[in-house]
Amino acid sequence: MIEHRPGLTFVSHLILWLGIVVVALPVWVALVASTHPANAFAAGAVPLWFGDQALANWQQVLLGKDGDMSQLLRMTLNSLVMALGITFGKIAISLLSAYAIVFFRFPFRGAAFWMIFFTLMLPVEVRIVPTYQVVANLDLLNSYTGLTLPLIASATATFLFRQCFMSIPSELVEAARIDGAGPLRFFCDILLPMSRTQIAALFVILFIYGWNQYLWPLIVTTDDAYYTLVMSIKRLLSVDNGEIEWNQVMVTTLLAMLPPVLVVISMQKLFVKGLVDAEK
Amino acid sequence: MSEVILKQMGKTYPNGHTAVASLDLEIAAGEFIVLVGPSGCGKSTLLRMVAGLESISTGELLIQDERVNDKEPAQRDIAMVFQNYALYPHMSVYDNMAYGLKNRGIAKAQITEQVQAVAKMLELEALLQRKPKQLSGGQRQRVAMGRAMVRDPKVFLFDEPLSNLDAKLRVQMRVEIRALQRKLGTTTLYVTHDQVEAMTLADRLVVLNQGHVEQIGTPMEVYERPASTFVAQFIGSPAMNLIPSKMVDGKPALDVDIPVACPHLLASSVLLGVRPEHVDIVPLSETALQLQVLAIEALGAETLLHGTLEGWGDTAPTFVVRLAGQHQPALGERIGLRVSPEAWHVFDGDTQKRITQCN
Amino acid sequence: MSVYFPQKWLPYGLLLPQLLVTAVFFLWPAGQAVEQAFYQEDAFGLSRDFVGLDNFIALFQSAEYFAALGTTLVFSVSVAGLGLVLALLLAVMADRVLRAAMVYQTLLIWPYAVAPALAGVLWWVLFDPSIGPLALALQTLGVDWNHYLNGDQAMLLVVIAATWKQISYNFLFFLAGLQAIPRSLIEAAAIDGAGPAKRFFDIVLPLLSPTTFFLLVVNVVYAFFDTFAVIDATTQGGPGQSTTTMVYKVYKDGFVGLDLGSSAAQSVVLMVVVGLMTIIQFRYIERKVQY
Repeated sequence: MIEHRPGLTFVSHLILWLGIVVVALPVWVALVASTHPANAFAAGAVPLWFGDQALANWQQVLLGKDGDMSQLLRMTLNSLVMALGITFGKIAISLLSAYAIVFFRFPFRGAAFWMIFFTLMLPVEVRIVPTYQVVANLDLLNSYTGLTLPLIASATATFLFRQCFMSIPSELVEAARIDGAGPLRFFCDILLPMSRTQIAALFVILFIYGWNQYLWPLIVTTDDAYYTLVMSIKRLLSVDNGEIEWNQVMVTTLLAMLPPVLVVISMQKLFVKGLVDAEK
Repeated sequence: MSEVILKQMGKTYPNGHTAVASLDLEIAAGEFIVLVGPSGCGKSTLLRMVAGLESISTGELLIQDERVNDKEPAQRDIAMVFQNYALYPHMSVYDNMAYGLKNRGIAKAQITEQVQAVAKMLELEALLQRKPKQLSGGQRQRVAMGRAMVRDPKVFLFDEPLSNLDAKLRVQMRVEIRALQRKLGTTTLYVTHDQVEAMTLADRLVVLNQGHVEQIGTPMEVYERPASTFVAQFIGSPAMNLIPSKMVDGKPALDVDIPVACPHLLASSVLLGVRPEHVDIVPLSETALQLQVLAIEALGAETLLHGTLEGWGDTAPTFVVRLAGQHQPALGERIGLRVSPEAWHVFDGDTQKRITQCN
Repeated sequence: MSVYFPQKWLPYGLLLPQLLVTAVFFLWPAGQAVEQAFYQEDAFGLSRDFVGLDNFIALFQSAEYFAALGTTLVFSVSVAGLGLVLALLLAVMADRVLRAAMVYQTLLIWPYAVAPALAGVLWWVLFDPSIGPLALALQTLGVDWNHYLNGDQAMLLVVIAATWKQISYNFLFFLAGLQAIPRSLIEAAAIDGAGPAKRFFDIVLPLLSPTTFFLLVVNVVYAFFDTFAVIDATTQGGPGQSTTTMVYKVYKDGFVGLDLGSSAAQSVVLMVVVGLMTIIQFRYIERKVQY
């Protein structure tokens, strides 16, 4: 601090806490709402303090109406499969292509680079209809392959690994060659272990990305055996008789946001590194 | 028997730049060869061609009479120590040293034995489980050497291995490298730009300049009979004084006695060289060679006098005298210099080559 | 890098998975979109006719499409502007209280992990005219809040939800940017007699401009595409067309309206827009992603 201004420091803290409260408000209300019976909302606003129905509501969502938790478990599993499938898929194919681009010289290397770069210009949202048609033609609707495969091409991850590989001193490659390491052994013994923090950081970011997918699972799944947690919220909101069970919605919302939020908080350092690296 | 033979070996890059012009060198088994020259002279390129990290554009490379031009680095049975050590940062010291052996499919027990033996020799035993990050510069240097030694290769290649160390450690490691190499008897090719390292380590020196060999010889040959002005100035510190001199009536214009009888038959102008340590001080009345002292560097054991020669006006070449012990001339003072005839080196003013005799 | 492995075919093998996925799920659909944009297809996909540029002409003569364009602009500018200003404010405050900055960071970054769809739902509830505490609070203040009926209020709601999620991201980058400014510069300005506010506007803000510009681009891209879920989970483009952005319209016309030709034409227009944005982004990071 350059000059001593206790007043200003106090105001800083105040603004920050105000920010934190505003940021946390919706989650607080959701948490509170999830502890009240459904009819509590009919009377008026969501109460601002916890009710006594927490156990019942959470039980109902967790275990299902008829006491078996298969549907929620199923959706959680689907979310997990999708998130991990996308994460591992993206990391794997990006590592391989970055490796090819940095450590080999071959005809059409530039063309391959630009083709990967091109994917940056085509987010799934702008080509949603034809992509759906392609996936449907390949008979991949309602399948884990259909949920993950179309999303795993990644220019960002490829660029990140490319950057990371290029910063590896060339002497290290030379030393490995003299030590008799061929390209695949070099990749496994040297490159992968040396990139492990980048991989871990990217893992955090991609897990969140995969878990939070909404539009894609919404259109490629019609069989509820493949529904994911995040997209299931839409079904809870569009009930036919118009009476939305807000307490259930809130429980599901909280459940669906819990895994990625926990990941961010528990792996904050990796998360920040992942975000910053991915934008280089 | 020659261990390594370079036959007209050269490197030209696709863009036409010639890094190394056709070079011939035969290295005897167990010999310590130092490639020395300023940066960009091609010495590292040459080393990397021997290692197999750069392709050889022309000529041949033979290791134990086998042509290895097209062999992978790993198949040439060479080991290399890099300037920045190139230790694998995620592997322990032990794994760093064992990696090359593992890749060659050597049995685990034997790897352990070999690594332990080398670690003992280099006093690395206590550090085997550490990561490179946890080591000091000197220790890393030792590990890099250990990694090279553990394979017991036919040839050691060193690429400026000491340049990242501080001055004191550098001297220590220099002595150690030489002692180890003698003990192991492994043929060694060593690149440096440091002429002190070159002089102290080498059995033979290869002085390179802009991709060409200026001279190949033992350190003393190179010091006593430099083949060109480049070598004369590169080897020895402070550098050799060079005085340009035109030929007048078959003699250099500078009136001194020189060891070559008839330079005028060979060159129209010459450069007369004398090492700073081969100059004596005499009373002004006894000599025409006079120095105006412009700076004094007193180092205790010796004194360096920097100045210009008298009688040259603005074009006077700078001249350095190195005297044993302590001397205190005043700045601006003139002092008389004497050089014995055999201490002069005569170079052709055009070709910059040494003139030895008339033909 | 000056050292390469000499294998000739291996790199193609390494690239194959990425290129295959790219070709099948990116380039092929993109090509399809371009092709479809020139055809008129009936709702059952039974027949289609080549119609040339008709789809595009219809698009650019449609008041609805221009409404969507306007909505997109309002939405993007609001989200980017609001998100940047609030995040900068918080980051500057956090930077002032250096020792506690990490604690605040932890407490502020977690919304990044919340799925946009869920962020939308959370705010949707807060502002629900019958049960939302904020909506009721507004009603006691005399504001008649009902985002089911009022288009402007619906827009405000999705802006708030989308901004809420993005603040954490902006905050992180602003804080990193602020902490990268050498203290000596600030101290020099203080010695030159500049107070905190003057220092901020004269020294900090200009030095932060690369970060700001970068975040601006990222935020606009975010507002364009990633907020699809916010809208779909809450207003679904309504009431009326008031929160239908261009991206949402592609989806709606394609999947709900089954007007594939028009949806494809809109896709093509968006691809051009994204292409332009990517080029801007690329120019900015050019020195880092130099091929």
